[in-house]
Amino acid sequence: MLTLIKRELYDQITYLVLASLLSLLVIGIMIYAVMLDIPDASFALGAFTLQGLLVVFCFLGAAQMYSDRANRISPLLATLAATRSRILAARVVAGAIVVLLALIPVAVVAIVLVHLLAPPLAFHARMIVEISTTVTLLGFASYCVGLYMGWTSNKILLVAGCLVLLMLIMPLFVVKGFGGEAIVILLLLIGAMLLRTWTNYTSAAL
Amino acid sequence: MPDNVIEVEGLVKYFGGRCVLDGIDLMVPRGCIYGLLGRNGSGKTTMIRILLGLEPATRGRTALLGQDSTALSAQTHGRIGYVAEGHNLIQNYRVQRLINLCKALSLQWDGEFFGRLIETFRLPMDRKVKEMSAGMRAQLNLALALAIEPELLILDDPTLGLDTVARRQFLELAIDLIQKQNRTILFSSHILSDVERIADRVGILMAGKIVVDCELDDLKDRVRKLRVIFPKELPGDLYLTEIINRQDRGREMVLTVANWNARKQTILDTFGPETCTELPMSLEDIFIECTRPVSASVVPESEV
Repeated sequence: MLTLIKRELYDQITYLVLASLLSLLVIGIMIYAVMLDIPDASFALGAFTLQGLLVVFCFLGAAQMYSDRANRISPLLATLAATRSRILAARVVAGAIVVLLALIPVAVVAIVLVHLLAPPLAFHARMIVEISTTVTLLGFASYCVGLYMGWTSNKILLVAGCLVLLMLIMPLFVVKGFGGEAIVILLLLIGAMLLRTWTNYTSAAL
Repeated sequence: MPDNVIEVEGLVKYFGGRCVLDGIDLMVPRGCIYGLLGRNGSGKTTMIRILLGLEPATRGRTALLGQDSTALSAQTHGRIGYVAEGHNLIQNYRVQRLINLCKALSLQWDGEFFGRLIETFRLPMDRKVKEMSAGMRAQLNLALALAIEPELLILDDPTLGLDTVARRQFLELAIDLIQKQNRTILFSSHILSDVERIADRVGILMAGKIVVDCELDDLKDRVRKLRVIFPKELPGDLYLTEIINRQDRGREMVLTVANWNARKQTILDTFGPETCTELPMSLEDIFIECTRPVSASVVPESEV
């Protein structure tokens, strides 16, 4: 399993680097906003960068599945000492690692900044946890969209499908906010997409 | 341990309404070197892919090493070596990286043997797989399949794309492997002389059905090609069953008959032939006769 995860991470190193850079950019914007006290402009820029991060997660999932078909990866792996479920599980774990590596530093910096600047209220702590959880799930849901749409040989369908589904998911926090309801909806969405991807992948002719 | 390493029962496969496999039944015992023959599009690769769980079957059951093909565990996969037609190798990987991956995903790895193979084949380790020739890819695929010391080796037209020297090297390797005890090999090929050299049992797939499934020696013994010359004109009907092919030229008749036995010889003798000479048949000759578009199928002796 570890070999499979390492292979996925190595193959998608571009996305890992890109996600890390965007994550650093979000952190930079947050620190910059606090230092110069320009919250509005930096919030817009931060939100825009965060959306870019979600797009990267989505295309990471898509790239994993699309390159599998294009380079005939699974037909080889599935005949070695690995099962299809294990190959897909390793893929998802690798995707989750990229999402967490990109979003955890952002969350940590946000917590530190709140601790440094805001009064120590329980409300703030809960807010940070809810925002972090929702954004992380949003990131993982974006990744799952890519994973689900990526199992195709049609590039146009792949890109169009990813963008349409992302456009439906991204405004979720605007409608539901950060917290309970959004988290439940995202969890259901992630579960449904993972289940569908697993069904498609394990029943397909390789 | 199961006696039959490969089990196929009532296997049916349709591709978009076209029947590719039509009720295949096949059992390959442990230690057997099974040569699977058939013309292009006869369903050999499809059957192998279904066996390995790469392709779903429409109906029927297949099992490898006692485990259902649809639920092969990683442990079972690790005991099977597979060389695919067209070679399933990750095209954008460098050879060394691919080797490392296969090694890491194997249950056992004979590094010494693998090194010997790489040296013999002179494979470039720093080149990408897609930059290699078809022959080199075949050699790499074969080396990877052999290095895991497989209990069952499935070779789907492995010598396709190999030059004569590499083909000979491959056959020698295969024979080397065969000599190791308890290895079972399912070998599909278009080069019948290769199959004839290493297989001890053969199956011929035709129009989605197994028309022949017997020991190679038994097959050679059962299928006879006879040149019969009659004193006057040829008889209209010989009343012989299982005639695979019949060619008439004047007083001469060339007959290919399945399941030849004393009873059939007696029937033929009643027509008073002037001479009856047996013509030698290679596996290739038998294969051509059996897979002619209009031909009788060779059925097991028990069904005659």
